Amino acid sequence: MYPPKFDYYRANSIDEAFALMGQLGDAKLLAGGHSLIPALKLRLAAPSALIDIGRIGELKGISRNGSTATIGALTTHATVAAASDLPAALTEAAGWIGDPQVRNRGTVGGNIAHADPASDLPTVLTALGATMNMRGLNGARSVSADDFFIDLFMTALGEDEILTSVDVPVDGAGTAYAKLFNPASRYAIVGVAAKVSVSGGQCTSARVALGGLTPSAVRAPSVEAALVGKALTADNIAAAAAQVGGDLDDVMGDIHASEEYRRAMAPIYVQRAVSKAAERAG
Amino acid sequence: MMRAVGSTLSRVDVVDKVAGVAQYPGDIDLPGQLWMKVVFAGIPHAQINALNVDRARAAPGVVAVLTAADVPVNEYGLIIPDQPVLCGPGSTPTAAHVRWEADQIALVVAATKAQAEAAAQLIEVDYTPLPVITDPLAALAPDAPRIHANLPDNVLYSYRIRRGHMESAFAQADVIVESEYRTHAQEHAYLQPEAGLAFVRDDGRIEVIIAGQWMHEDRQQIAHALGLPEEQIVVRYPAIGGAFGGREDMSLQIVLALAAWKTGRPIKTIWSREESIVGHHKRHPFIFKAKWGATKAGKVVAAQMDVISDAGGYMYTSNKVLGNALVACLGPYDIPNVHVDARTVLTNNCPGGAFRGFGGPQGHFAAEMQMTKLAAALGMDPVELRLQNVLRDGALLPTQSVVPPGCTAAETLEEAARRGGWMQSADGRWQRAAHAPSIQSAAGPQASARQTSLDASRRRIATGVGIAVCYKNVGFSLGFPEHCYAKVELYGEAEIEKAVVSCLGADVGQGAHTAFLQIAADALNLPPERIELQVEHTDITGSSGSASASRLTFMAGHAIQGAAAGALQEWQHEERPARCEFVFHPRPTTMYDPETGVADPSVTYGYCAQYAEVAVDLDTGHVEVTRLVSVNDVGKAINPQLVEGQIEGAAAQAIGWTLLENFIQKDGRTLTPHLSNYLIPGVLDIADVIEPVILEIPDPQGPLGLRGMAEMPMIPTAPAIAAAIHNATGIWIDQLPIVPERMWTALQAQNGA
Ligand SMILES: Cc1cc2nc3c(=O)[nH]c(=O)nc-3n(C[C@H](O)[C@H](O)[C@H](O)COP(=O)(O)OP(=O)(O)OC[C@H]3O[C@@H](n4cnc5c(N)ncnc54)[C@H](O)[C@@H]3O)c2cc1C
Repeated sequence: MYPPKFDYYRANSIDEAFALMGQLGDAKLLAGGHSLIPALKLRLAAPSALIDIGRIGELKGISRNGSTATIGALTTHATVAAASDLPAALTEAAGWIGDPQVRNRGTVGGNIAHADPASDLPTVLTALGATMNMRGLNGARSVSADDFFIDLFMTALGEDEILTSVDVPVDGAGTAYAKLFNPASRYAIVGVAAKVSVSGGQCTSARVALGGLTPSAVRAPSVEAALVGKALTADNIAAAAAQVGGDLDDVMGDIHASEEYRRAMAPIYVQRAVSKAAERAG
Repeated sequence: MMRAVGSTLSRVDVVDKVAGVAQYPGDIDLPGQLWMKVVFAGIPHAQINALNVDRARAAPGVVAVLTAADVPVNEYGLIIPDQPVLCGPGSTPTAAHVRWEADQIALVVAATKAQAEAAAQLIEVDYTPLPVITDPLAALAPDAPRIHANLPDNVLYSYRIRRGHMESAFAQADVIVESEYRTHAQEHAYLQPEAGLAFVRDDGRIEVIIAGQWMHEDRQQIAHALGLPEEQIVVRYPAIGGAFGGREDMSLQIVLALAAWKTGRPIKTIWSREESIVGHHKRHPFIFKAKWGATKAGKVVAAQMDVISDAGGYMYTSNKVLGNALVACLGPYDIPNVHVDARTVLTNNCPGGAFRGFGGPQGHFAAEMQMTKLAAALGMDPVELRLQNVLRDGALLPTQSVVPPGCTAAETLEEAARRGGWMQSADGRWQRAAHAPSIQSAAGPQASARQTSLDASRRRIATGVGIAVCYKNVGFSLGFPEHCYAKVELYGEAEIEKAVVSCLGADVGQGAHTAFLQIAADALNLPPERIELQVEHTDITGSSGSASASRLTFMAGHAIQGAAAGALQEWQHEERPARCEFVFHPRPTTMYDPETGVADPSVTYGYCAQYAEVAVDLDTGHVEVTRLVSVNDVGKAINPQLVEGQIEGAAAQAIGWTLLENFIQKDGRTLTPHLSNYLIPGVLDIADVIEPVILEIPDPQGPLGLRGMAEMPMIPTAPAIAAAIHNATGIWIDQLPIVPERMWTALQAQNGA
């Protein structure tokens, strides 16, 4: 299928992008195009114009400031996957997105701005405690991942805002991502990211997030609470993972996996992600 | 000179295809061409009261909108003409009845594709919706709505077999196994969606350029629907992007010709992937109720089967597929008492039709599961039980005719067993050191390198092994007047400088044309470079029959050899050029007796056995095939590399059908019209190791001893995998596909029990 007709504009700077956004009515920002173009082809969206921000250099690349890594919104999944000093959960999730074409074109910013429930990065960034940085005509603001992902394809990002970067804490905690995926697209059916710190043989902090099975990425507070203060043994992890059902209100079902199956897979993937994160926490 | 047959000659089309030069139908453009949009009904069961195309006709760029009233003879079908070319009023009494969501109701012809698509939106249809039947068992209910007025019980066709005495046979049995098996639809998913062109030539004839499987049959059906003599039609096949049976029934041939004929302009169309998946037939879903009995000594004494297939809204090849399944559901075994009732039933689902194996994969799933279960019930080795009952030369088929000579079911099975670790002990019995189902909780050496889910290292994995064997007819069966034309022309003076070999068998990607060249080269004793193939269109020579039923190399091989011998004789008689056109007729076959099924159904058979190793994730239900050995007796490998390609391709397609591909319809509508939700296997989903094994035990009827082989390796895979799953987990999965959720549900039930 071909997308409906649209006009194409290229912005060479953030300011140019804002100018175009002001000028054009129902325009959409185009980054890697790997969510937007399929949506156009499926007639889920029909903007009259696209503003290509894909070549804005200032939105690309990864920088480090103390214990915070800042990832430009236009950084591709492939670049993230190959980075050596990002949390393992993030690099392994990025490395398992789609296929090489998708990873070479798709961007971190596009992925989270789109907020597909089956995307990987919202889940990972929620577990990592990341912060989204965005800019609008009235200035810049930042929102924590916990508050950023609101619902199916819905985020805190305003219509007239551009996501500029994501701050990710790099603090030596053990992190991991495990997912059950659709074999065609690699989109998550159940995706679980975990971040744990261990001290004196005990878990001192835990963040666990799930995606794929809920309308947007969600934390698993019961699991987190059950992990903290315990030794991360296989049995303790399994017992904590078994709590996850209580953290999931709204589980989706479709032709690929029923609600019941997704619910049953949640503790298994929590267990897998947490065990690996615990191993990495050393 | 080196023999061409048996060598791995490069495919004749390889350079063009790799370089992107080969022209598939969608790549071809004609000057002045118009675009045609085919409009689907979009509703699975309804009466069309009125069809208003006025607004569409008036839309920008539109040259014509054609409906049922424009079709001279509004019916077609490969077996019986039970399908309207276009559904709608103003035509035959049955044409206003929509029976399938992809019934075609109008053709919009416009200057551009966008204009044709926009105008198609303006067509107004007044439907009276009818109750939708999606379950063949519901279609059999006495008060079910009729899908064709002339078939009051919705039974489209039925066959039966009656051999021996069931009651006394079951009384004799020490164990009886009863089960119900269900197999599902499969989409062909060829790379090239339907596309084609048609135009009126300078000589006034209509030429259709399309990818199909049988040019002359296409020509005959186009001529019939247009009410024209066959000579008025030319069918041309350029490069064909896969078929697998999916192009055996027609999708675009007639409507392209109709639009070109009505407008006088060249017409082109290309279907999207969605149109392709929604718009052509699928592998038939089947339901088998099986009851088999065996003695302690390991003799299968009785097999009773009740077989139902879902035909969808029209015949397509449903009766032929049912005819194959009738014997396939008994496996390649000599069973003295057999009772089969088989029916193919109308519904409003996507029609069932030809797909690689043609009833064989479905039938053998039931038969081979029964054999594996009987072996388990008897405490016997599954290979030993099979070998004690397998068809061998001289044995009777269930149709009470002698199996054609060269029956090698036992040889293929033994080879697969040896490669799977079985041994024959001193007393001649086959056994395998019992596979102790192993459960690993950490990444062991057997954990697959490949990952179906991220993080393989924490899986609880059970591994197991399984084996199955099959046979499949070669050639059209059941009394069909099977034949194949070839023509050879020899040019030169003192010596043959050039040979032109004509045979119209379709190269659907399997490499048929390369095989033709190799067979011709040896028959003429010429190097392949001196032979020119003519294979493109219906004016060249007579019908070769279809690229189907594993028949083409077998039939065309004979025809080419015959034409070559005739031409060489002419050459001896100093004819220049020396010419011979030859028609090969294999030995005749006969139709099933309606009461008993007695028949000599098929020219000959091909044989395949497979051994599978699987790993089952006990937490998620994911099944991975870690090793698949596919042993195929091909009689003579004309081109071993092409044969291996067929074996490996079939393994992928069969593993896909067994574990992954899940064609879902709800209320007669396709829910999986995209390759993102109809999952075909990628290279990581197939198997860690596929071992293609070629046996060359000559078929006495085959040219050079060859056997047809392209369908057989599609057949034993599902029951071999299901046997391996049982070996790993103790669970019988009787319904395909074995998607993770189905496996997980079964594991849950086992845990609960
Ligand atoms: C075949 C296939 C497989 C895939 N598999 C996976 C997978 O396994 N896991 C996964 O997580 N994802 C997967 N994806 C999605 C992929 O990761 C996309 O690249 C990503 O979701 C979107 O990034 P993009 O740069 O392509 O954004 P685009 O498609 O260009 O944009 C997406 C949306 O975000 C908006 N947008 C983009 N950038 C910004 C910005 N800086 N500020 C504000 N709004 C912005 C756009 O306006 C648009 O609405 C897959 C995609 C495909 C096609």
